[in-house]
Amino acid sequence: MHFVTYTQSTLVYVMTELKYAEAVRAALRAELATDERVVVLGQEVGALGGVFTTTKGLQREFGPERVLDTPISEAAIAGWAVGAAMAGMRPVVEIMFMDFVMLAMDQIVNGAAKLRYMSNGQLSVPLVVRMPAGAGTRHGPQHSQQLESWFAHVPGLIVAMPSRAVDVYTMLRQAIRSDDPVVFVESKYLYFRESGEIDESVLPELPVTQTARVVREGTDLTVVTAGRMVQRVVEAARDLHESDGIACEIIDLRYLWPLDTGAIARSVARTSKLAVVHEAVQTFGWGGEIASWVAEYCLADLDGPIVRIGSQRAPVPFAEVLENAVVPTEALIKEKLRELATY
Amino acid sequence: MSELDTAGNGLRLYRSMVIIREVELHIERLHRAGRMAGSFHSSVGQEAAAVGVCEVLRPDDLVSSTHRGHGHALAKGVTVGGLLAELFGLANGVSGGRGGSMHLHHPDSGFLGQNAIVAGGMPWAAGAAWGARQQGRDIIGVSFFGDGAASQGLFYETLRLAKLWNSPCLFVCENNGLAHSMPAERLFGDPGTHCRLVAEHGIKAEVVDGSDVLSVYKVAHSLVGYVRTGYPAFLEVTVGRARAHSLNDPEYEYRDRDSGKNWLEENDPISSLRKGLPDLSEEFDQIDLEVSTLISHETTRVESGDINQANDALRDVYTVDSGVRND
Ligand SMILES: Cc1ncc(C[n+]2csc(CCOP(=O)(O)OP(=O)(O)O)c2C)c(N)n1
Ligand SMILES: [Mg+2]
Repeated sequence: MHFVTYTQSTLVYVMTELKYAEAVRAALRAELATDERVVVLGQEVGALGGVFTTTKGLQREFGPERVLDTPISEAAIAGWAVGAAMAGMRPVVEIMFMDFVMLAMDQIVNGAAKLRYMSNGQLSVPLVVRMPAGAGTRHGPQHSQQLESWFAHVPGLIVAMPSRAVDVYTMLRQAIRSDDPVVFVESKYLYFRESGEIDESVLPELPVTQTARVVREGTDLTVVTAGRMVQRVVEAARDLHESDGIACEIIDLRYLWPLDTGAIARSVARTSKLAVVHEAVQTFGWGGEIASWVAEYCLADLDGPIVRIGSQRAPVPFAEVLENAVVPTEALIKEKLRELATY
Repeated sequence: MSELDTAGNGLRLYRSMVIIREVELHIERLHRAGRMAGSFHSSVGQEAAAVGVCEVLRPDDLVSSTHRGHGHALAKGVTVGGLLAELFGLANGVSGGRGGSMHLHHPDSGFLGQNAIVAGGMPWAAGAAWGARQQGRDIIGVSFFGDGAASQGLFYETLRLAKLWNSPCLFVCENNGLAHSMPAERLFGDPGTHCRLVAEHGIKAEVVDGSDVLSVYKVAHSLVGYVRTGYPAFLEVTVGRARAHSLNDPEYEYRDRDSGKNWLEENDPISSLRKGLPDLSEEFDQIDLEVSTLISHETTRVESGDINQANDALRDVYTVDSGVRND
């Protein structure tokens, strides 16, 4: 990734405990204050602050020219932002629920992702598309999907998927400064359930090199995960350690692209076992890519089958008992990891 | 005689139209001779729309275009050599041979590019014009699209948004009465002109006869002036498509074999302009000669140009090469 030069803003920075949703807002606010070319577009991102309050107060602070309430026209908003980005702006588009991005897909995949390439490097599309994704909030089948695998498949897109407030803050600021288009997958489940101490005076490191983060070190098996599932895996691993003495090493990818294969390979070399956990549907999901990459390049290190744990091949149902039968639960993760550890 | 009717204007418009016409015919011959590959959507017959509008624009105004976009590119300042090289797939093409006939991009000419997805370029021009205004740049956007775009949701979404946010963008609908091979009445029933529909949305909209480049130029001149004051406008140019949808398309399931040719014989914007300005016939002949020399010279020059290197295929996917290769 490549980032534009940073100019010091006049914001007063403080160390603050912020929720995941607040971290989104803080990052947007910092970049709006830093760079006049940054604009935020989305449905009711103004006075309402977005349905998840991630943009609350920004329109009051930066004005309706910088924080724009849009009509319900996902395709036009995305295309508009692509055009504005080509003309030098740095638009951040909010798609109210990730499920609605299908309407904007053409502009993201045929436009944003390809323009640098198609134009032989003449054009840049510094666009961020933010999307609250995933289940766990009882929104039902058309409001709960986790579709990052689609975007990870498209050359030209960066796919960011933070699991905690601290990362949201840094990664979103990095995304806005990136000259490549970034698909920014947020967890609406975590918006008000995850928080962390954010040091707003520390600027995000530019450019990002090692994208993955080792969440917990361990010697028995490697678990690669991202987004909301990180928390579940951490809890499952803690339990497994207490009950069975199993030591899981957990890798939070943070980005599906660029994919930090180095971090995965180093860990698998130590533990010899790999599980991939994601909320996206398991079949044809990104876990398959990680599994096959490891099978292809790290086979000699492996001492057990690669295990994938993803959602069942079904829409995300509304009823809690049904949802838990579709989306990987902590109990399921624990069971599968124990099985792998004792293989 | 108003400022818009001067002989100088006539000659400029003529030259620009002849370049497009002759380049398109040249490309047609290169395809038939097996020297060029890929799809090709000819704009023969539609030159007055591209030329009448682009001649009013400034170099840094931003244009988006369509699959049928060679004329828009040339009229906006893309060079004949750059275009031909691109169609040959050469490294010295305007898009380095990565785009080809439907994906030309040349921002230095104010040509954001073609978007081969029907209606896809509309929000590019509108968003770019708006974005430029946000940065205090005094430019406008122009989006060319066909009448087929009016069957896309993006058409209405973009027009409404441009109206809402006052994007200084001129939307130019080249209504050739055909979308792919389908005649308009089989797609829309009888919609009348799109202009009327758009005007209902409160957008300034006009329709003009695309067989008369001076009229297109005049209407475009006035609409562009209006757009520069900070509003969108819509210009529908009725044109005729002399060729099939694309080269080798069996369109005759949908329209009479000779209808394109017949239309051109009666409505050719190039011969109409000549007829309207009989005093300039010597100058016109001179232009014909110059253009034909230019095209053959440029063809020879670029055809022997740099071929693309395979190890360049993964450049510019991202700002920084990820280094990832299948091996
Ligand atoms: C979204 C989309 N659907 C279908 C096509 C295939 N296609 C290419 S051109 C075309 C017809 C376009 O008609 P119109 O917009 O009137 O342009 P014209 O070819 O008449 O210039 C179609 C259907 C496409 N390029 N994009
Ligand atoms: Mg048409």
